[in-house]
Amino acid sequence: MSQTRPELGAPASFTFPRPQRVDVGAGTVVAIDVPGQLLVSLRLVHQHGAALEPLDAMGVSLLTSEVLEDGPDGNSSLAPALERHGAEWNSRVTWDAFVTGLDVPVNRLNQAVGLFSEAVRRPALDADDILRRREQLVERFWLGSASAQTLAMRSVGGQLFTGRYGTPLAGGPGKLGAVTPEQVASFHGDTLASTAGTLVVVGDLTGVDLSELGKRVFGDTSASRERDLTTPAPPPGELPRVVVVDRPGSVQSALVIAQRVPSRKEVDLPRAEGVSEILGGMFTSRLNMELRERLGYTYGAGSGFDLRRDTGVFLMSTQVEADTTAHSITSSLEQVNELRDGGVTEQELQTVRESNTVGLPVSYSTARSMAGALVDMVVHDLPDDHVDRQRAGYEKLTRESLDSAAQEYLHPEQAVVVVAGDAERLRGPLGETGVGPVEVVDPETLWA
Amino acid sequence: MGAAERIGQFTLDNGLRLVTAPASTGQVAAVNLWYGVGSRHEVPGRTGFAHLFEHLMFQGSGNVAKAEHFDVVERLGGDINASTSTDRTNYFETVPTHALDLILWLEADRLASLREGMTQEVLDNQRDVVKNERRQRYDNQPYGTALERILRLAYPEGHPYHHPTIGSMADLDAADLDYVKSFHKAHYGPDNCVLTVVSDLEPEDVLARVEKFFGAVPARDALPEVPDASLNSSLGGPVRDAVTETVPAPGVFVGFRVPAYGTREFDVLHLASAVLGQGQGSRLYRDLVVDRPIAADDGGAAADILPFRYTDSLLLVNMLAREGVSGDELEQAVRKTIAELAGGVTEEELDRARAVLELDHLQSISGPSGLADSLSSCAQLFDDPALAYTWPDRWSDITAEEVRAAAERLLVDDNVLVVRFDPETSEAPAAL
Repeated sequence: MSQTRPELGAPASFTFPRPQRVDVGAGTVVAIDVPGQLLVSLRLVHQHGAALEPLDAMGVSLLTSEVLEDGPDGNSSLAPALERHGAEWNSRVTWDAFVTGLDVPVNRLNQAVGLFSEAVRRPALDADDILRRREQLVERFWLGSASAQTLAMRSVGGQLFTGRYGTPLAGGPGKLGAVTPEQVASFHGDTLASTAGTLVVVGDLTGVDLSELGKRVFGDTSASRERDLTTPAPPPGELPRVVVVDRPGSVQSALVIAQRVPSRKEVDLPRAEGVSEILGGMFTSRLNMELRERLGYTYGAGSGFDLRRDTGVFLMSTQVEADTTAHSITSSLEQVNELRDGGVTEQELQTVRESNTVGLPVSYSTARSMAGALVDMVVHDLPDDHVDRQRAGYEKLTRESLDSAAQEYLHPEQAVVVVAGDAERLRGPLGETGVGPVEVVDPETLWA
Repeated sequence: MGAAERIGQFTLDNGLRLVTAPASTGQVAAVNLWYGVGSRHEVPGRTGFAHLFEHLMFQGSGNVAKAEHFDVVERLGGDINASTSTDRTNYFETVPTHALDLILWLEADRLASLREGMTQEVLDNQRDVVKNERRQRYDNQPYGTALERILRLAYPEGHPYHHPTIGSMADLDAADLDYVKSFHKAHYGPDNCVLTVVSDLEPEDVLARVEKFFGAVPARDALPEVPDASLNSSLGGPVRDAVTETVPAPGVFVGFRVPAYGTREFDVLHLASAVLGQGQGSRLYRDLVVDRPIAADDGGAAADILPFRYTDSLLLVNMLAREGVSGDELEQAVRKTIAELAGGVTEEELDRARAVLELDHLQSISGPSGLADSLSSCAQLFDDPALAYTWPDRWSDITAEEVRAAAERLLVDDNVLVVRFDPETSEAPAAL
C-alpha cells in the first residue's frame, strides 16, 4: 500500500436542470426530464398546509390525506387499485402544503394518472371511512408517542407557540378525535376538489405529453386564493426552561433544545443553514463530535431549522444514556455559546461552502430528490433557478458572515429544553444544571 | 443496449471483484463495497463484533485521522455510511465524480492499514457509541427487542443466526484491541470484497483507478473458519416468547423458517409475504385493519422476509392491537389469516403482489447509491450483478399453485414462532 493521497481535481460545474413549465387551465405542470429514470415521481402541490387549519378542526388536513386513500369507491380501495398498476400513493401534509402524488413506472403512468386524478378530486369521503381512519389516527398518535424521540419532538410546539403550532401537525388526539366527516368534506371541497394546484413531474419523460397530463389532473378546477398568515405568539413562561415529559423507566433520554427563529422568507438560508451544519448538521459537526465521538453519550446528535411561511424553529436533538442527560444538555448549550462567542473556523467555512456547491450532483441524483426540490420551490414561491441561487449564496459565505449568522439566529437564552425521560431520575440532576426552572409534565395531559 | 448489458465486471489479481455500471444522472459516482463478513461469522462471547468493527472503520487508518473519512465526504457534499447484517458489511459513499480517486484511496487505506490506526481510546469510545445505538434502537424502543427474541427462537443456541448483529452489552464490554486487529486480518482482504462503482465514467477508466489504489493490497493469507449455519432439525413449533413490559398496545410477531435467499422457494415465499401483508391490498390489511378492524393501521406493512443467504430465511408478520383488543384475539386472527393462504391464492392477488415487489425493487435501484448496493449484493451473494436489474423476472413465472403449496408446507404450526408483547397492566396509561 504505497499510493499517495490523490489531489482533488476541479469539480465540474453543476446547474440544476431548468424545469419545463406548461400552463394547463388553472394549473401548471412543472417537469424535469431525466432520461433513463424509469420510475416517475409525480406530485400535486396545494399551498394549503396544516397551519391554515381552524383551531376547531386541527388535524383535518392529515385526516383528509388519509381518507383520500379510500379512493373514489371508498373502503380503502385506492391503494390496492394503484398497487395493481405498480404505483405507490404518496401523500404528505406539512405546515405549508398539502402534497399528493405517485411513484410509478413510466410505462404505467397513463393508467395510474387517471386513478390519481379521480382520487384527489372525487374521493368517496364516506362517513364510515372517515370515522374509521380518525380512530386509527388517534391510536397511531399514541403508538408513535411511545417512542421517546417522537414524544419529545411532539412536545416542542406547545412550548414555543400558541395557536395552531402549539398542537402537533397531526392535531393531537383530543382535537383530531373531534373532527367530523362534514369538516373533512368541507375542507376537501375548498382546497382539493376545486383548486388546481401545481403538478410536479420528474423522470424519463420520453413520449409523455405534459399538456395531456395536466388536462387530466387539472380538469375544470380554478386557481387558488391567497391566504394571509400571521405570526403566532409564544405561550407565557420563563426562558430558558426545562420541561421533562415523563417516561418512567427510560434507559435513554430524548432531548430537544428548541427556540423560535424568523420565517423561511426572512431567514438568509445559506448563512443560517451553514451555521446549523457546523453546529449539528453533519457527522463532523460540533455536537456530534462532542457528544458521540468524544464523550460516547449517544449514537448521534444533530441540529436543524424547521422553517415555515410565517415563522420558524431551530432545534438540536439527541438521545443519550439516562445518567448523562444533564451533562448532555449543558454540553450542547456550551457548544452553541462557543460557536457564538468564538465563531467558525476556516476549515468549517470551507466544509460548508464546498458541501453545498460541489455536492449538488449528489443531492440531485434521483427523481425523488429533484421532485422534492421542485415541490419546495412551488410551496415557497421560489424561482426556477432557486438551487443555483442558493449555490451562489454558499459560494459567497465568509467566516464573518457565518459568525454574524450565529449571533443572529442562535439564542440559547430563548430556548426550551424538552426531555422525554424518567422524571424521577432526572429531576435532581436537571435542577442542578442551572439552565432554568424544571417542569415535569405527564404526556397524557398534553393533547387533551 | 439494455442496462444489464452495460455492466462491467473485472477481477484484480488480489481477488477483488469490481463491478461498474452507468448512472442515470451526471457528475456523480457511487462507490459501494460489500465485504463478505457479518454477524454470522461471530462466535459465542463475541457477538456484536462485526458491527462494532464497522464503526471502527471510520476511526482512522494508516494515513487517515479519526473522523477524517467523514470529513472528506461531507466536505464534498457527499453521502456516506455503512451497515452490518448477518451476511455482510457494506460501506458506501456517493460523491461528485471528480472525487472518485480520493474515495478509492480512503477505502483502500482502511482496507490495507486500519490496524495501524487503532487505539484503545478509539475502541472504548466506539463501544460506548454502539451501546447507545443498542439502547436507542432496542432497549428504549417499545417492541425494540422483538428481532432479538425472534432470532433466539428461530435458530438454536450456538447457531450463527441465533443472535442479532447489535450483539449483547456484555460481549461489547469484553471486546479487546487484539481481537479487533485479528478480526480485520481475518476478514478484511480484497479477496473478500466486491467493489461497485456507478458513474458516468467508462468501465476501463474505473478499472484503471481501482487497480491503482487497490492493486497492491495483498489478499488474506488464510481464510477464517466460518461457523456452521446448517440446521439439522425443524423449528419444532409452535415456539413462543411472551413478554410483559411497558408497551402501548399488545404486539404480535409471528415468524416462519423459509428456504435460503436465492432459491426459487424463497421467491415463492417472498410473493406469499406480499400477498399476506405488503400493501393495502394485502390480506392482513384488508382483513384486520379495514374489515374487522382489530389491528393498528400500518399502511400495509405487516409482512416481510429476512433474506439470509447461508441458512433458512425468515418470513415475519407483525401487527399491533387496536384499543380494547387483546393480544390473544389479534394473534389468533393473524395466524388464521396466514393459515388460510394454504387454501389458495387468486391470480389477481398474485399480480398485485408482483407489482408491489417490482415497485419496491425499482425504488431500491432508482438512485446511484441503491443501484450500487444492489449490484454489490448480487455479485457478492450470487456472482451475477445483472440480477440487480432482472430480479423481478424471477417472480414472473411463479404460479398461484406454487404459492399455495408453499404456504401449505411451510406456514404451519410446527414451523411457527411467536413473540408476544403485552402491556404491564390493563390500566397502563395509553401514552407510555
